[in-house]
Amino acid sequence: MKDRKIELMAPAGNFESLTAAIQAGADSVYFGVEQLNMRARASINFTLDDLEEIAKRCGENNVKTYLTLNTIIYDHDLSIVKTLVNRVKEAGISAIIASDQAVINYASSQGVEVHISTQLNVTNIETVKFYSHFADVMVTSRELSLRQVKKITEAIEKEDVRGPRGELVEIEIFGHGALCMAVSGKCYLSLHTANSSANRGACIQNCRRTYKVVDLEDGHELEIDNEYIMSPKDLCTIDILDKVLDSGISVLKIEGRGRAPEYVYTTIQCYREAIDAINAGTYDKDKVDDWMQRLSSVYNRGFWNGYYLGQKMGEWHDTDNSIATQKKVFLGKGVHYFPKTSIGEFKIESHSLKKGDKILITGQTTGVMEMEIDQMMVNDEFVEEAKKGDNVTWKTPDRIRPSDKLYKIVKTEEKGKLPVQV
Amino acid sequence: MIVITHQRDKCIGCNYCIELAPDRWAMSKKDGKCTLIGGKDRKGFYTVHATDDELEANKEAAKVCPVKIIHVKQI
Repeated sequence: MKDRKIELMAPAGNFESLTAAIQAGADSVYFGVEQLNMRARASINFTLDDLEEIAKRCGENNVKTYLTLNTIIYDHDLSIVKTLVNRVKEAGISAIIASDQAVINYASSQGVEVHISTQLNVTNIETVKFYSHFADVMVTSRELSLRQVKKITEAIEKEDVRGPRGELVEIEIFGHGALCMAVSGKCYLSLHTANSSANRGACIQNCRRTYKVVDLEDGHELEIDNEYIMSPKDLCTIDILDKVLDSGISVLKIEGRGRAPEYVYTTIQCYREAIDAINAGTYDKDKVDDWMQRLSSVYNRGFWNGYYLGQKMGEWHDTDNSIATQKKVFLGKGVHYFPKTSIGEFKIESHSLKKGDKILITGQTTGVMEMEIDQMMVNDEFVEEAKKGDNVTWKTPDRIRPSDKLYKIVKTEEKGKLPVQV
Repeated sequence: MIVITHQRDKCIGCNYCIELAPDRWAMSKKDGKCTLIGGKDRKGFYTVHATDDELEANKEAAKVCPVKIIHVKQI
């Protein structure tokens, strides 16, 4: 394998995930603002005024920042597109990820670096050459096999295809996360059934539901083992990452702007370790097993290698939503931090906390902090259990803040056994 | 009389309400979100009173809104 630096790109749906991504060792982050991005339906999105703060936080940590502006664009959007591109330039965001030619053209005319979104489904070297007039980095279609990706990266080198920066065009692929049942961006199910266009970031995810097949002539329902007939499993490449990197890519992207901060933290941490292990020549099966176990602990629909190894058919998900091995249960919020003693104070608003419990603290600045409780105090006395309403303190590895949320990590099957709240 | 409400900040600018009730909705060129014509802002919720003849068209607009931020009520 050629020795080249791989950029690990993390999703950031909000400041908590952004901080988690930085903590976990991401080289870059991508995010959307306002309504023109593929997660427009998400309840939390950054706003235009957050751009400076994002650039500042990432700049301090040498993390590159990419704004997704990759929905389809109508005439009435053109003015906000210009505003967004101009603000990106002013705020010092590294690049824009675009799919509509209006965005590509304007950003490139303003000297803003453009990356080609997977929504454009780049699948061959001629398309790469076409977009090389505007873009330095391109995400290839998620449906390509690694062999096909490799052909493209080799051709870029051989034919010396360079982007506006004057450097060889870099290829970026998705390494982990949700897949689309259709060729990305070419699905109109959500639009047809709910007027809610996936291509405006408002996919209602019809494919994640259960379906029956009925013979309309006699009304018989066909027996199908898997009612989730359209829901693909999640992409995971950590077990084939050496082959993935060998395809000549420059950027490995992790999907999940709609996911929780601990998802971003765990996933980025695993892929960071895996990339570093490959570079150091220490990538082996034991490590892969450990990473797979950790990746399974956060939200997932079961894993497969996607189309990278050339399977003809997709693999379908067969249960309701996530099969993560652990879940988080909200306990309460941060109250105060005593810096001299490194003690954090929390108020328990729901459920209870026992000695030995694994907990998770998340916050916009705190990011993600995981730990096990070995000692805790309520009213200056050591206790075995803290109940709803208690103010409880313990030593935290880092500063916590009053806006931080406190969760208990429980095994998925134990969740049903939690005491009912009265 | 009817009351139409619009939670404007959640609008994704899909344009459907304008297709169905063009007399009551307009696209803002400034931010690419839809504006309820005549609407008064109360903490992000825009409200306007209109006559019954606008009911059908705006009910349709509310129905197709992908983010369900339009509400129409007869009073």
